[in-house]
Amino acid sequence: MADKQASGSFLRLMSEESQASDLIIVFCDDHQETILDQGRCQGAPRRSLGGYSEDEDAWYPTRRWDRNVPLRNLPVSMQEKRDIRDRRNLQRRTIGCWESWRRSQRTVRRRMLEQMVQALSALQLWGRTLHSIEGRFGVSVKVYFVFLRYLVYLNLFNCLLTGALIQAPVFIFRNNIYSSTFKENDSYLDFFLGTGFLERSPVFYGFYTRGSLDGKCLNTPILFLLGVFSVLIFSLVMLVRRTVNGYKHKWMLSGRYNFSMSFKVFCSWDFCIHEPKSAAFKQSNIRNDLKMDLEEERFELLKSQRTLKVRVKIYFLRILLNTVVVILLGAAFCLIYIGTKYSHQQKDSKNYPWLYSLLLQYLPPIIITLVNFMLPHIFRVIVKFEDYSFTSQVNITLVRCIFLKLACLALFLFFLYDTLQKSPQNNQSCWENQFGKEMYKLLVFDLLATFTDTFFIMLPKKLLSEMYPECFLLKVMGRQKFLIQLNVLDLVYTQTVTWVGLFYCPMLTQICVCKLFAIFYIKKFAVQRCCKPTQRMFRASTSSVLFHFVLLLGLLMAFVVLGINLNKLKPSPTCGPFLGSSTVFNVTTMCVDSLPVHVGDFIKFMSSEAFAVPLIVVEILFLTSSMSLRSANNKCIERLKDMLVTCSSDKWYLVKQQAAWLQDQRSPQQSSSRAGSVEGSAPPEPRAHLDFHPLPERSVSQPCDTEPVPTHSRPPWNES
Amino acid sequence: MGNKQTIFTDEQLDAYQDCTFFTRKEILRLHGRYHELAPHLVPMDYTNDPDVKIPLALIVNMPELKENPFRNRIVESFSEDGEGNLSFNDFVDMFSVLSEMAPRELKAIYAFKIYDFNTDNFICKEDLEKTLNKLTREELTPEEVNLVCEKAIEEADLDGDNKLSFADFENMISKAPDFLRYL
Repeated sequence: MADKQASGSFLRLMSEESQASDLIIVFCDDHQETILDQGRCQGAPRRSLGGYSEDEDAWYPTRRWDRNVPLRNLPVSMQEKRDIRDRRNLQRRTIGCWESWRRSQRTVRRRMLEQMVQALSALQLWGRTLHSIEGRFGVSVKVYFVFLRYLVYLNLFNCLLTGALIQAPVFIFRNNIYSSTFKENDSYLDFFLGTGFLERSPVFYGFYTRGSLDGKCLNTPILFLLGVFSVLIFSLVMLVRRTVNGYKHKWMLSGRYNFSMSFKVFCSWDFCIHEPKSAAFKQSNIRNDLKMDLEEERFELLKSQRTLKVRVKIYFLRILLNTVVVILLGAAFCLIYIGTKYSHQQKDSKNYPWLYSLLLQYLPPIIITLVNFMLPHIFRVIVKFEDYSFTSQVNITLVRCIFLKLACLALFLFFLYDTLQKSPQNNQSCWENQFGKEMYKLLVFDLLATFTDTFFIMLPKKLLSEMYPECFLLKVMGRQKFLIQLNVLDLVYTQTVTWVGLFYCPMLTQICVCKLFAIFYIKKFAVQRCCKPTQRMFRASTSSVLFHFVLLLGLLMAFVVLGINLNKLKPSPTCGPFLGSSTVFNVTTMCVDSLPVHVGDFIKFMSSEAFAVPLIVVEILFLTSSMSLRSANNKCIERLKDMLVTCSSDKWYLVKQQAAWLQDQRSPQQSSSRAGSVEGSAPPEPRAHLDFHPLPERSVSQPCDTEPVPTHSRPPWNES
Repeated sequence: MGNKQTIFTDEQLDAYQDCTFFTRKEILRLHGRYHELAPHLVPMDYTNDPDVKIPLALIVNMPELKENPFRNRIVESFSEDGEGNLSFNDFVDMFSVLSEMAPRELKAIYAFKIYDFNTDNFICKEDLEKTLNKLTREELTPEEVNLVCEKAIEEADLDGDNKLSFADFENMISKAPDFLRYL
């Protein structure tokens, strides 16, 4: 339906793809003055009397006639609301009592729901602290603490699951009495090394036995497996949900819906700010954010203008720096390997003083933490030479740090697995306990490192900078900032270690909850007392998706590690609920065998290839159809956007016609000189049912055959 | 409620409760605040609906509004004469819309009114420039202001007329991230 009508200077096109014509915009500019002079809709002062018609200056969708819209949601002045209320009250008398009872019940239910939601949201943990942090440091720092709180909730629920499925059965159906007393060889070092007292406690795998709950399908080992897998699957479901929601939101706001600048102009001010200092801080934040955006645009412009020589130089530099990064990573991994090997070799020798042997035991966690502490700062310095825009710099450093953290952990687990596999199985008293101890040590050391970093590095630095503000060394090191990304990666690391070690150290979720609580208060102290608020805004929304995604990667790593361990390593014969079986899954096979024949066959069928392959095929079909639906919707959106533009040009055309006709009416002598530019002398029938805003002012006389145009914004092709 | 108050009739309080998001106690408290702004002007007895308006200059000095760069526009949008003189009805209405119980759609309508400086039912480039200058306390250069406004209009304008109508504005606002909802 290409309706080309070249009259004067405009062109109307109904396009297949998005090809809105520039001429439309030119047309609008040319005629805006005449049109607006003729029919300027003077402002929208609030009317106090309801004397005007319902659609007077209603450029917003009002639904006054809808009885179900609550009065308080109407965007009109108070006096008008009271008038409408009186009118509704009058009409209400004609409704029967059943109807009025139903309506009152509806409002009562609505109010109760609102109150419940408000009460629940007030119950959120640490609500007031986060609010005050947001006020002083901005939204970006609050992101970290909200993430921390989310992990606390996740772990609390996981605690419930492990408590119910793993710990409770073992305590209830235990055969031998558990005495939680200190024996002669125990010492306080046990809490750090996981030996002695702690080894006999429910913290580690060795404590859990088969006990007296010995049914075919309902026995402690199966509950143990069920507990571990339910924790992992529950975490998977929650994380996938969050990541997908966040990604959907982020994806929606890129490409054609990129409203970032509009959001910054309209949505960035916090209307709750009372204090002048916070207001000034917020304003400088907004200003810096805008300046950063403009700088990035300028950078993009410069980038596109680079000559070939400059480009080659930059690529060469980037390759060189990436090699440096790879070398650094390789060195870190070697260090970890050496540390793990040495620590394992020296494990059994007893002739060292206690401090030295403690350090030896903790050698792998110490190396990992040191590496993760130093290398990110080096990465931050390196990336400055690679000539990227600021956002890209931040993203690239982040990717490198994530890779560093996860790879260090993965390699450490691999070396551990290697060591355990190589050492003769019957010499190991309980290799699962060994594995659990390593995970426990990682967590404990991480907490110690955080504590040390805050109280023995950041606090003295701050005190020194207050006492000696002119010290050169402190100036070189710069002001203390709260580096959100690195702190979030630490949280991800903690959570990943918890998931990986859950099978071998079932109380790890409880320990993790305690640790997260401690981290919250330590970091709160660090932020409020030791750091200064940074002026640079941190892109909060996009990175939160990234953090949830990294957490998901950690969870997948936990799945992989658990899968390999359970399949390749034999359960040790002396400890744990699986002693005596050749694999952990013996108990499930026994349970399936004990079920009625049909159910057993059904379960065996579901886990065979004959079921899995058709399932995969069906999923692929579903995926393909979703993707084609998506591209069809994209095309539809483009077409609708073009229709909006052409509707607008139609509007202006008609207003122009009407203005020209009105001018003709007023000065008929000049009409002859303008006959050429106006089509015909009879007033054209204005197309009714257009979304006509603004309306020309009512004081200008309307031709009597115009119908009043409704002001719903419904596209014209939707009219019946 | 225990004490009998004599500021409003019961029927008036019911009407206020229906027309705003406030409870009776909150409305009485609001009246107290309104009275504090101009004690000699505002009577304590509102039972016969006195026609009293407080001028703009007194209202924008309220601590809730003092640091807001848009305080003048906010008060003007809620006043009947467009000059910023608020009667008690308008005062209560303003705080009802600004409260956290008001729905997003209602706030969007009033936000559009607030940002529309020349009250022509469109947010044109001049309106945007004024918004930006108020937001950043005029610390951006005119060239930067120009760039930002152009980009914002380019992003949000759907019908190609180089201004933001309410439909454009609402469309854009509805897609604003509730920042911390998914964190």
